[in-house]
Amino acid sequence: MVEAVTMMRYVSPVNPAVFPSLTLVLLGIGVFFTAWFFVYEVTSTKQTRDLKKELLVSLVASIFSGFGILFLLLSVGIYV
Amino acid sequence: MYKFVVLFICMCSVISAEQINQLVINKNVERTIDLTSQLVKITATITLENTGKDTVRNYLIVLEPDTVGNLSYISVKDSLKEDLKLTPSKVEKHEKDVYSVQLKQPLATGRTAGIILEAVFTKGLVPYPNSITQKEKQLVRYFGNHYFYTPYATSKQTTSVTLSSRSVESYTKLKPVSQSDSTLTYGPYSDIPAFSQDRMIVHYENNSPFLTVTRLERLIEISHWGNIAVEENIEILHTGAKLKGPFSRYDYQRDTGSSHHSIKSYRTILPAAAYNIYYRDSNGNISTSQVRTRKDWIELELRPRFPLFGGWRSSYTLGYSVPSYQYLYRKSSTEYVLNMRLLDHVFDDMHVEELETKVVLPVGVTEVQIKTPYEVQRLPDGVTFKYLDQFGRSVIKLRKTNLVEQHIQDLEIVYHWRSGLLLLEPVLLALALYVLFIIVIIYVRLDFSIHKPEHAKKE
Amino acid sequence: MAQAGSKKSQLTKINSKTGINSLIIFVVLLLAWIAGFSSRLFAVIRFESIIHEFDPWFNYRATAYMVKHGFYNFLNWFDERAWYPLGRIVGGTVYPGLMITSGSIHYVLHLLNINVHIRDICVFLAPIFSGLTAISTYFLTKELWSAGAGLFAACFIAIVPGYISRSVAGSYDNEGIAIFALQFTYFLWIKSVKTGSVFWAVAAALSYFYMVSAWGGYVFIINLIPLHVFVLLLMGRFSNRLFTSYTTFYILGLICSMQIPFVGFQPIRTSEHMAASGVFALLFAVATLKYLQTMLSKSEFKSLVIFGGLISAGVVFLTVVGLTYAGYIAPWSGRFYSLWDTGYAKIHIPIIASVSEHQPTTWFSFFFDLHILVATFPAGLWYCIKNVNDERVFVILYALSAVYFAGVMVRLMLTLTPVVCILSGIAFSGLLELFLREDDTPRNEDSDDDEQSPPNNRRLYDKAVAGRVPKMKHEQNKESDGIGPNIRSIVTVVIMLLLMLFAVHCTWVTSNAYSSPSIVLASYGSDGSRQILDDFREAYFWLSQNTADEARVMSWWDYGYQIAGMANRTTLVDNNTWNNSHIALVGKAMSSNESAAYEIMTALDVDYVLVIFGGVIGYSGDDINKFLWMVRIAEGEHPKDIRESDYFTEHGEFRVDAEGAPTLLNSLMYKLSYYRFGELKLDYRTPAGYDRTRNAIIGNKDFQLTYLEEAYTTEHWLVRVYRVKKPDEFNRPRIPVANRVVKSQNFVSKKSTKRKKGTIKNKPVIVKGKRLSKQA
Repeated sequence: MVEAVTMMRYVSPVNPAVFPSLTLVLLGIGVFFTAWFFVYEVTSTKQTRDLKKELLVSLVASIFSGFGILFLLLSVGIYV
Repeated sequence: MYKFVVLFICMCSVISAEQINQLVINKNVERTIDLTSQLVKITATITLENTGKDTVRNYLIVLEPDTVGNLSYISVKDSLKEDLKLTPSKVEKHEKDVYSVQLKQPLATGRTAGIILEAVFTKGLVPYPNSITQKEKQLVRYFGNHYFYTPYATSKQTTSVTLSSRSVESYTKLKPVSQSDSTLTYGPYSDIPAFSQDRMIVHYENNSPFLTVTRLERLIEISHWGNIAVEENIEILHTGAKLKGPFSRYDYQRDTGSSHHSIKSYRTILPAAAYNIYYRDSNGNISTSQVRTRKDWIELELRPRFPLFGGWRSSYTLGYSVPSYQYLYRKSSTEYVLNMRLLDHVFDDMHVEELETKVVLPVGVTEVQIKTPYEVQRLPDGVTFKYLDQFGRSVIKLRKTNLVEQHIQDLEIVYHWRSGLLLLEPVLLALALYVLFIIVIIYVRLDFSIHKPEHAKKE
Repeated sequence: MAQAGSKKSQLTKINSKTGINSLIIFVVLLLAWIAGFSSRLFAVIRFESIIHEFDPWFNYRATAYMVKHGFYNFLNWFDERAWYPLGRIVGGTVYPGLMITSGSIHYVLHLLNINVHIRDICVFLAPIFSGLTAISTYFLTKELWSAGAGLFAACFIAIVPGYISRSVAGSYDNEGIAIFALQFTYFLWIKSVKTGSVFWAVAAALSYFYMVSAWGGYVFIINLIPLHVFVLLLMGRFSNRLFTSYTTFYILGLICSMQIPFVGFQPIRTSEHMAASGVFALLFAVATLKYLQTMLSKSEFKSLVIFGGLISAGVVFLTVVGLTYAGYIAPWSGRFYSLWDTGYAKIHIPIIASVSEHQPTTWFSFFFDLHILVATFPAGLWYCIKNVNDERVFVILYALSAVYFAGVMVRLMLTLTPVVCILSGIAFSGLLELFLREDDTPRNEDSDDDEQSPPNNRRLYDKAVAGRVPKMKHEQNKESDGIGPNIRSIVTVVIMLLLMLFAVHCTWVTSNAYSSPSIVLASYGSDGSRQILDDFREAYFWLSQNTADEARVMSWWDYGYQIAGMANRTTLVDNNTWNNSHIALVGKAMSSNESAAYEIMTALDVDYVLVIFGGVIGYSGDDINKFLWMVRIAEGEHPKDIRESDYFTEHGEFRVDAEGAPTLLNSLMYKLSYYRFGELKLDYRTPAGYDRTRNAIIGNKDFQLTYLEEAYTTEHWLVRVYRVKKPDEFNRPRIPVANRVVKSQNFVSKKSTKRKKGTIKNKPVIVKGKRLSKQA
């Protein structure tokens, strides 16, 4: 016990109080890029499609959505 | 496995039959038997004297043969209230339940020393009659010993028995004995030889909750996102006198004082930082509970779905979360220490028959070391998969039977863990989403149609 | 014409702005899904994530069993905990679609290590599927009319109370997923009729298979689609597309549907399914004739049609009749008859009539469940009739038949709701297309207006419009040019207001009428504080914890599923009312006096009896209020022992107070409900034994139970559980040996002395009751 007190208390790397707002921001960006991606997929035809752009947009979308979902889970109390 | 072997060898070396030093005598023994709750709590203040020539280092405590197995907790303190080391031992004719107390300072010839023995026994109070109707009062019998059971000769001793109520049906009268209010005083008796036994029976009214936790499963889950989730699955049984005949709601409602022995509610104390508390059973949320925040703890008043009468059982799940900084410490950049209670408070004067504590460690933990406050059985580790886990989390399982309040002590788990693993889940999520996007990208490039559709107007 | 024009303009719009359009469609559908999902969550937010009502408890229990023991064990599951001592073959008497759906969701989630409890999947399944229903409704309406109408329909069905009533979170029932399957099958069918492609027909058959596995209402599909084909044939709209799609659909659908154990050979053996095969044969006949028509001359063809038609019709008819007589084809089932003759059930099958949702629908509930849609859907229907084509014939038939069925049974409102949403979507879309033209044709129209209007003043503008209004109403369809901007905005505002009212109404109905779990009751105090009455779970949990594992609980069938699901105890009868005589036996036990009931109960090995009693809190759905149905059902099987008239007073009233019929006051149900209630004073104003539900002081106050003892009564007396005493427990005297000798001496009179001993303690009324039953 005495030993434990001298050790540092472990605090989460991200303050749990900002989880909800972080969720909103990250998911918002993620959804925007996802929408962009799908609109692009729908509007472009076979000739106008650009693979690089698709991959890039979807990569950004998935990273932001991924983190957004994670913080969503954390903010609703599912601590992964 | 290796640890067990080591432990076993250690125990074997300790348990070598000891000799009873006949020259040590108990100069004075003051014993208090507390029978106010469902537990039997015995406190004995012993003044011992060394009448021999050699200095004495050890003092032996032997338990009565008929209480064997009911002992839940034993501790010995010296007169300064400091814990003395207690090791299981063995003397001739007494194979079990012999403890050797290592005195702080060796007792020189002719000197005296004081020690305080504290022991808690479960199942020591037997309801008699063992089934009663709703309106009757619960009477229990206590079977004990008029004398303090000890391998040494005792010069003088007194025993006081504290009861929960003034109404005593009967008690054995080994003179001198007196009753005042709810206390029985036996003694003083003098010059009692070693190992003397004389049966003491007290038959009295005890309406305190006779509630036993038949099984408690405590699950501690660590998340390095800053949370420790605790969930306790509790099965309780009213172990008092069984209910005979019907249960009448009318009688129960009319005068609440009539059914003393039933248990309507009890209090559970949670850590002050607990939040997201839930109280449910297999049928869903139990809406009858109240949370009161005290300064240093959270008090939870739990009402089971139905009042518990003798022989009735119930079960529920209680869960809550605590922020990680309360119990989790960081030793070095990769080494973490969890300091958490192995068993927590369920209700006052509780008796837990079986405890299984499981600690779910984060993903990727290595080099786990466990320090338990008392001897527990370690079950083989398990693996569990929580949300989004691809690699399982190791689960440490500890088991112990017959516990009481005194066992609420800290468990220490040291483990190694790299903080980079925190990013595992979001990266996995992002990858999974990316795979979905790529499937879409591939899909729009595919064409399954055998011939071009005639109506090109559809997008 | 106007429609076509607008459609064309829309198409051009779609081509030009595909991205924006698909984004809008996507967003609207997503929002519809979210709105539908969240408006179904009232119960979860107010109470908790819990399974509601009665049937869902069985579905949940079956799902949990399947998840635990695997699919094949589930199909072979013989449930010995239900219908004691008969048991129930669950695998063969259940539509497994629901369990398979949630079980596979559970499986997939756990494969991904998302540890969701199966209960939560079950609770949220219906709200999630409501989103899928909205989407399939969108596609169906899009095929029938336009994408705009589809969006309207999707939004309607997402929040319409008629559908919410069966799909709130926790209402884990077949209908929740069946409506999705229904809409999706119809969409695929329409698609296959339109394209004539085998692919869509196969998809329709598979979707139909899913529907068969999910709900008994699949019969509706397998009659409606043949009806559609038949009407198309009558209208001379035979085409190869129709031929391809129906034959594919029928054959595949038939084979698939027979794979469900519960359905088995019904599709070829019962009358309900015969229409489909008849149309199948007819379609072939017509196709053959069409083919022959190309080969033969006109006169030859004519005679062939007449003779061939007559002979084949006769042969088919005779075969069907012959097979029916021979017993290969089952005649219409009772439930089916009750659809045509609303009085049928009341006379022949009281057990069906006793369920409130099998009553005929009132006008009020049409409005309550559909609100403005009930007024607008005829408009949509009119649009469809006016612009009829192959697929619109379908929706017309769908609407007409669903309206009829919804009128017969409250429960079938559910099948009406989707078509009402589709047609209202079409109506609203038609209206808005008319009045919101400003956006597309608009530019030149506006300029026209401008050219005309400068001479006019703003003041006169109104007038002119007002003068034009009546004309518009008649000629709307012909010329839409003449609508002024003001009338446009007025109509638009009115439509918006209507839609807003609709949304408000839906939310209100959902929150007030359809979001009660019914196993947890809430009462509101005068200060607005909420008190939760959790008596049902209290009692069930007591049963589960404090009775022997194999204990058998007798209760009225309503509570069978809940007892099995929450208390995990053996029941005698439950909501799967397959065995009428067994239910009648329980009804007889409940309506007989104690000693007669005891005989039945010992014969059935009953350990506990559970009754619901609302007299303390004023809960109206209790067993005393259902009692007459028990009597009626018991009378149906045991007319000698139970007579309904015995339970009424001389004036034909059913009352529980002192003037009530003695048979009623001595029946087991009465005694179990009111045991020791006569002593209870609820408050200071009312006398002891005042029943709040029936507003009466009970008639038989002071009585003792001989053969049963109170085992548990919940906090608000809502559920009362009694233990049936073993023969050695009651009246077994704790008497000295001397008395025992007396008993053994006159063995014959032993019973009567014993009875006398018991009855002396009781009121004389009970003696009467006992004798009555002895004689009877």
